[in-house]
Amino acid sequence: MHETLSALVVHDIKNALALLEIDLEQLNHHKDVPPEGRRAYRRCIELKNRLISFLTLYKHDQSGLRPVIVEVDLAEFVEDMIRNSQSGMMVPSHQGHEIAVRIDHDKTKIDGANGGIGQFDENLVELALESALNNAVRYARHNVLVWFEQEQDALTFNVLDDGVGVGVVDELMQRKIAEKSSSTGLGLALCKAVAEAHGAGSVLLESVTGGGTLFSLVLRRIV
Amino acid sequence: MANPNVQGLSAGIRGKPFENEYVNFSRLTALVVDDISAMRHAIRSQLQSLGMNSVRMASNAEEALEQIKSTSFDLILCDYNLNKSSSGQHFLEYLRNENILSSTCIFVMLTAEAEYSSVANAVEFIPDDYLLKPCSESKLRSRLERLLDRRAFLMPVLNAINGKLYDLAVEECDKLLLIAQDDRRRMDVLRRKAEAQLALEDYTQILATYMLAASIRDDAPWVKMGMARVHYALGDYSQAIEIASQLIESNKNYVAAYELLAKIRRETEDDEGAFEMLNRSTAILPSAKRYRSVSQAAFLLGKLEEAKSSAEAAISLSNGSMVERSGDYLSLAQTLVDMGDFKAAIATLEKSARKHGDLGFFGVAKDAILAQAYFDAGDIAKAHKLVERSKSLLANRTNSFVMTALGKAALKTGDMVLGLKLMTQAVQSSGRDERRIARHVKKSMLDTGHNDRIEDVIDGGRKRILVLVDESTKLMRIARFVEANQKVLEALEIHNENFEALMTATQLHLLWLKHEGLNTVIIERAKFYLSTLDKLIPNNLKVMNFYRFFNEIVSK
Repeated sequence: MHETLSALVVHDIKNALALLEIDLEQLNHHKDVPPEGRRAYRRCIELKNRLISFLTLYKHDQSGLRPVIVEVDLAEFVEDMIRNSQSGMMVPSHQGHEIAVRIDHDKTKIDGANGGIGQFDENLVELALESALNNAVRYARHNVLVWFEQEQDALTFNVLDDGVGVGVVDELMQRKIAEKSSSTGLGLALCKAVAEAHGAGSVLLESVTGGGTLFSLVLRRIV
Repeated sequence: MANPNVQGLSAGIRGKPFENEYVNFSRLTALVVDDISAMRHAIRSQLQSLGMNSVRMASNAEEALEQIKSTSFDLILCDYNLNKSSSGQHFLEYLRNENILSSTCIFVMLTAEAEYSSVANAVEFIPDDYLLKPCSESKLRSRLERLLDRRAFLMPVLNAINGKLYDLAVEECDKLLLIAQDDRRRMDVLRRKAEAQLALEDYTQILATYMLAASIRDDAPWVKMGMARVHYALGDYSQAIEIASQLIESNKNYVAAYELLAKIRRETEDDEGAFEMLNRSTAILPSAKRYRSVSQAAFLLGKLEEAKSSAEAAISLSNGSMVERSGDYLSLAQTLVDMGDFKAAIATLEKSARKHGDLGFFGVAKDAILAQAYFDAGDIAKAHKLVERSKSLLANRTNSFVMTALGKAALKTGDMVLGLKLMTQAVQSSGRDERRIARHVKKSMLDTGHNDRIEDVIDGGRKRILVLVDESTKLMRIARFVEANQKVLEALEIHNENFEALMTATQLHLLWLKHEGLNTVIIERAKFYLSTLDKLIPNNLKVMNFYRFFNEIVSK
């Protein structure tokens, strides 16, 4: 009974937040929106994202995520994700100026046999990558690059920023207890959950020579 | 800049702008279906700020249906959880089954959780896309642009399909296949091509289309399902069963595969097997229609408890919605009578009568089943009265289910002549449903203790017709036309659309005219038989020869 009740309340809050987000989104279409309006919109998005991430993780811990595998056109998927990230819902950068998010065409790889079509749960993977992207923008100096590499039996999504390096996040990866308390930690835990839900997937973080962090979400085809 | 690996990438990644010339939101009409008013309005404002001027709203499937019937929408955004009894998936199934949606309409399912699509992926009718709620405006925009772009590419084909010009649709598909830039587009086109070829019943060509699709992506469920269906249509059941079983192996929730297997098992007289398959598909995606099939199958197998609970489920799932069928109450009531629960049967019929009145087949069958129930309750006089009323309402209606119900009531109340006649007629006019009705009749005869007459009733009508036709033919050959006519009329009395009887009647009248000169009454009758045959079996060689013969005689 308690569980049912809390599930109902959470569902209700999620819906209410969604409606609030749409109201604020529409409000921000008007000219002369005060800075508070813009800030409220961003806060609302962040709050909703945090709630959804938390709920997803909760489900992962309780009963395991059940990914709904669909066919996804990888190029479209990455394009749309970047496009959505630039629509004003991004978290602000620590640098205080706009960060350019682009697709790295040269590093993008398509496997001939799979023809640029991936098979995964697009909503779960999008949720994971959005949080990685948010993180990258938060720590980047000027640029964030995104690309995917499709191989016969693995699919990797990469997010590369030109920020201070992996130190901060690396530490977070180790601290299991604290990991869900900050938004970065929550995001990483979420990415790991999503990777696990797709079978033998994994999340990698590494420092890049010359500064910056490379985030990789690796999905392996479950046979 | 060019990387050989990135040949297949879409326009955006190759550096072209995302916006494309096809998408002009201002000219599109959209319908938003959601039971929560705030959500409905929120989605409408999102669509409006994308530039759509014409956005309509509906709070449930019934309202939506009204609007869809009167307006041709470019886009329907429908919530998955419409209300307790019906989902967006049921609504979509209904729209596609009844052919209400235009081919050019984009149907997008909005859902709160992703769970839905593990079920939704398993069904035959999938929407053009699923969108997770809440959805930001920019995400909505990018999804809709992709969908509209895809639609624009397919437009010549979609328009042809909409106009039922399937030959043209196939032609347009072949043109598009030459210019399709990537596999996804090619698969889109092949899917439509198969759809058009299916409408043309061009099974050998359609198999080639599926083979081509399978060479591009061998694991697309619609390709496999399509192949299974074609093998089924070509009568190659073992191939169809093998492919459908493979589909189930890779996705144990694939409802359409279970339904095809159920069909095959029913046709190969494996009724238990069919029942099991129907049960499984219903457990995966319960709907009134599926419960209805389970209930019918269970009833004919004598599994009355299952028949009862499934009929009840069909009623409660469709109650008050557009998929409500008065026949569900009749099936439930007949099941209850057969279970000996006449009280519940009477209550069910009275409740349904308040709802569906007394009209048409429903009224006739309702009285017939009521008669059975009152007979069991010991009110013989009322039972007789109801049989009489039902009989008078039956008039010229020929509905096998109704005739079986009334036949059973007649047999129960002791009117053997009427009972046997109705049972025989029920089998005779059952058409494509023959096996099912024959089983229904057989069960009714067993229930009323007429085991010895079953064979007579099921085969006897036909045997009797053949005997009469034979006698008529013999009389006709010795030019005893009046007597021959009496025999053939007697045969047509049993079944007025029996081929052999109609052929004989035509031949008889033509000979009659030839031998005894032109007689307007005979000419009119000959014309009537000819046109009846022409309607029943168009372009039949024998009938055409009759026509030629008739014209020769009359023009003399």
